[in-house]
Amino acid sequence: MLNVVKEQSGAGLVVRMSGSIEESVDFDQLIGAAQGNLIIHTKGVNRINSVGVKAWIRYFQTAVSKGAKLKFVECSTAIVEQINLISNFTCGGEVESIYVPFTCEDDNSELVGLFKVSDIVKMGFQIPPMKNPKTGGKAVFDDIPEEYFGFLMSKK
Amino acid sequence: MLLLISEHPDDRLFVHTIGEELGLPVHSVAQFDAGAKWLMTQEATAIFINVSSEASFRKLESALEATVGLFSDKANPNRMHFLSSLDLSESGHLLMSPLFGSFVSTNYGDPVISGKRYSYILRGSLDERIFGPKKLFSSAAKTQQVAFASTSQKQSGVEGVRNFLLHAKFKSRMATIISNAVDELVMNAMFDAPVDPLGKQIYLTTSRNTVLTLKDRSVVEMSVAYDGDYVGISAVDQWGSLDKQKLFEHLSRRYAKEEYRVKSTSAGAGIGLATVFRTGGSFLFACEKGVRTEVTTFFRKTDNFREFKDQFRFIATQFYF
Repeated sequence: MLNVVKEQSGAGLVVRMSGSIEESVDFDQLIGAAQGNLIIHTKGVNRINSVGVKAWIRYFQTAVSKGAKLKFVECSTAIVEQINLISNFTCGGEVESIYVPFTCEDDNSELVGLFKVSDIVKMGFQIPPMKNPKTGGKAVFDDIPEEYFGFLMSKK
Repeated sequence: MLLLISEHPDDRLFVHTIGEELGLPVHSVAQFDAGAKWLMTQEATAIFINVSSEASFRKLESALEATVGLFSDKANPNRMHFLSSLDLSESGHLLMSPLFGSFVSTNYGDPVISGKRYSYILRGSLDERIFGPKKLFSSAAKTQQVAFASTSQKQSGVEGVRNFLLHAKFKSRMATIISNAVDELVMNAMFDAPVDPLGKQIYLTTSRNTVLTLKDRSVVEMSVAYDGDYVGISAVDQWGSLDKQKLFEHLSRRYAKEEYRVKSTSAGAGIGLATVFRTGGSFLFACEKGVRTEVTTFFRKTDNFREFKDQFRFIATQFYF
């Protein structure tokens, strides 16, 4: 089930999503009629199924057709996977930052690091290792760059 | 006897491993003509053919047409296993062919390990029916089965699978992807499988959020099998309504290249199965028309996500009419 917290800021309506996006989601009810700038945080979205994708695209396409401007911030790995799988998943919106998956070489645990997409492009899609705060060990990027950053590479 | 038509060493290793696992000798030829001529006088238990380009596939079709015929029982799709390095979205010529049975990606990783996994599929396909998770795993694999009495139980089933995978030490990202695959299979069994006497989908436009009581023929079963290396999860319905052509159309779509258009003519999204395949899953579709459909997805447990996404993949089908 999806939870949504809304907050009006100077930059626009900030929408923070958490949970899973599936057949029970009703974006019209959760977010309402969107207009102006919409800043969508999806850090807490852990899963989205096919019916959730359909509802997402239907809602945001309608919002854009009514003049909304979309910015996606702190996209979770589940959302990044969909951005890569479905060419129009962002409905023309801007992706500002994404979570990047890492695996610790010491204890094999999973970590994520937040990156601005502009920085990822500047780094040539070569993500440097990060330090696991729990073990102090090295954590390396754990996905296929051509797939995880595919949506950025195709724009280059 | 298994027939292999390929000149690639990895294909040989893959098919010979299957042969060894099942105690079946392998007759290996490099050319389509030689394979088709062999088929005229010999019986093949299963046929593995490398068709990694459309031109090579057309050569195969011509060779079979000139010898045993495209609709001969010797070229029965249930026995055909196409080995290909092409992406599924570039394989429309394979999927739409009357010869098409199963698609095996030649991105084997280790051909011996992949051959051992696929040998279970082949072993099951040699039985009268491939149904049941025990046929697809070794006897040491643990299996669990549940039956859904209501569509409202799907989400708890999906969460149950995710918890099982986390307990089995799958990484959480893998567990999420696999449980999402289960979500798609079970949802299809609940809402897409039921058909009226004319074969029309009963719940085509019914919201997937609708609570339906599942009883008698509408009961949907799910089974989970795990052997410590692979997990296989099946969704089972009692309708046997799976349409092969529609299935291949769904699977071969690649929305990373084309735009996804929201259709209001169907409450389903039509992208679930393709997503499962693109995120690392393999499939076995087994359907006895009007009786039963079992869709099983397989995922290998790997040490890291990169290997998980790049794992050996196949789409196997067995249709019984």
